[in-house]
Amino acid sequence: MTITTIFRRWKRLVPLAAFVGLAGCEMIEFSPNDHRVPEEFTNLTEKNLAKLAAKPLPAGDTLRFIFTGDSQQFYDEAEGLVNSVNQQPGISFLVVAGDISDFGLAREMRWVDEKLRRLKVPYVTVIGNHDLVGNGRPTYQHIFGAFDYSFVYGDTKFTMVDTNGREYNFDGSAPNMGWLRPQLNSLDGARRQVVICHVPPTNEDFDPALRDSYVQALREAPNLVFEMNGHNHSYTISQPYNDGVTYVNSDAFSERHYMVVTVWGDRQFRIKRVAF
Amino acid sequence: MKNILFSVLLLASLSAHAATPPDTTATKPADGTRPERPWYRPKHLALQTGGGLGMIAAGAGYEFGKDRLETDILLGYVPKYYAGSTLSLASLKFMYSPFRLPVGEKFQVIPITVGAYFSYTHGTINDEIKGQYSSDYYWFSTDTRYGPLLGSRVTFLAPPIAATGQPRKISVYYELGSNDLYLASYLNNRNGGLGFGQLLTLALGVKADF
Repeated sequence: MTITTIFRRWKRLVPLAAFVGLAGCEMIEFSPNDHRVPEEFTNLTEKNLAKLAAKPLPAGDTLRFIFTGDSQQFYDEAEGLVNSVNQQPGISFLVVAGDISDFGLAREMRWVDEKLRRLKVPYVTVIGNHDLVGNGRPTYQHIFGAFDYSFVYGDTKFTMVDTNGREYNFDGSAPNMGWLRPQLNSLDGARRQVVICHVPPTNEDFDPALRDSYVQALREAPNLVFEMNGHNHSYTISQPYNDGVTYVNSDAFSERHYMVVTVWGDRQFRIKRVAF
Repeated sequence: MKNILFSVLLLASLSAHAATPPDTTATKPADGTRPERPWYRPKHLALQTGGGLGMIAAGAGYEFGKDRLETDILLGYVPKYYAGSTLSLASLKFMYSPFRLPVGEKFQVIPITVGAYFSYTHGTINDEIKGQYSSDYYWFSTDTRYGPLLGSRVTFLAPPIAATGQPRKISVYYELGSNDLYLASYLNNRNGGLGFGQLLTLALGVKADF
């Protein structure tokens, strides 16, 4: 047997060896708290916003999106949700109102992304308290991106804000009012705005020292359609402070329901709850 | 959860035990002049990467029951770059290797090692402080992990130390493992939401008897 035939014989194994090698490297986990993931699972917020921007909504068009939250550990349900949402006509994107993960681990965030990347539309997230457990802060930052951010789509400005005060021991940093106030005061050219966070101000996990200023800032925000949150795992639409500000709480994935949200005009909206 | 894990491990070790062949280890000191080892002196040193126990984890281990049972104590390290904070891990591994297959005079293959580990991580960022949460706020610990292991090993039998007759061995091993949180996620999704392969971690390591 010549060297070339040996080489030819073994060459067929090269892709296999490369595959095993790559899979092996990925499996060599230093700690569940390490956040090494392939590049395709990093900076997801930025990548998903870029996908959204590539399909602009004409000015004046009604906006329709899906609102859900708390995907934590509900992988079976995530499949059902994706299949159902992919049947919905005329939607632009999906929002997960925090608690993407249950334990703040990179693998969990990746597992959820592996489900949600099968959506026909992009999705965006806001950080939840479970995403901040352990080393969840740098993990979420690496995999999704910023904790506080805003974007304009069509005529609507969306402001996503970290309200998980208890995870910071109520140190006055979440919600970051210094960042939030100017966001609420400027519509960045949009006609109306929506604020999305995980822990609602009515909840005991919201920093009590910031509750009043948060609620007041929302009350004064121009053309605020509503504030949306997760955390409670149950569907509610209410005005708990009787100040004209509507608060919408999402179902968790486990509840097998999501909302189809339609917004138009200055601050008109319609919400349809869909079972899957 | 704990019960399921325990019974799986127990079953695995029992079935492995039932198939144990007669002792085939051949390297015993011929003349019995080998000095008694003090009980506290470890039998081997170990160095590994991965398995959730550190980018680098090093330590020592003891062997019992004709060397079929082992306990390794490892200290692991994960740099800040990969985890957002520098992590130090203290781990305890328990392993059972029922078979030892000689391959020529110099090598030995241990086809199956089953075991379990327990680890404690120091240095996580949002580590619970007193009063941060009510008692049952999160049901899991962020610092304490445990899980099953399954691996194999190849051992190179070096010539014994001339003066004492003490055998020397160097082994390379791999271990597939998982942890309580990954397994909980799997068990809570019985309709295939997670694949079993998605739960696995890999460790590669070296052990040297001394």
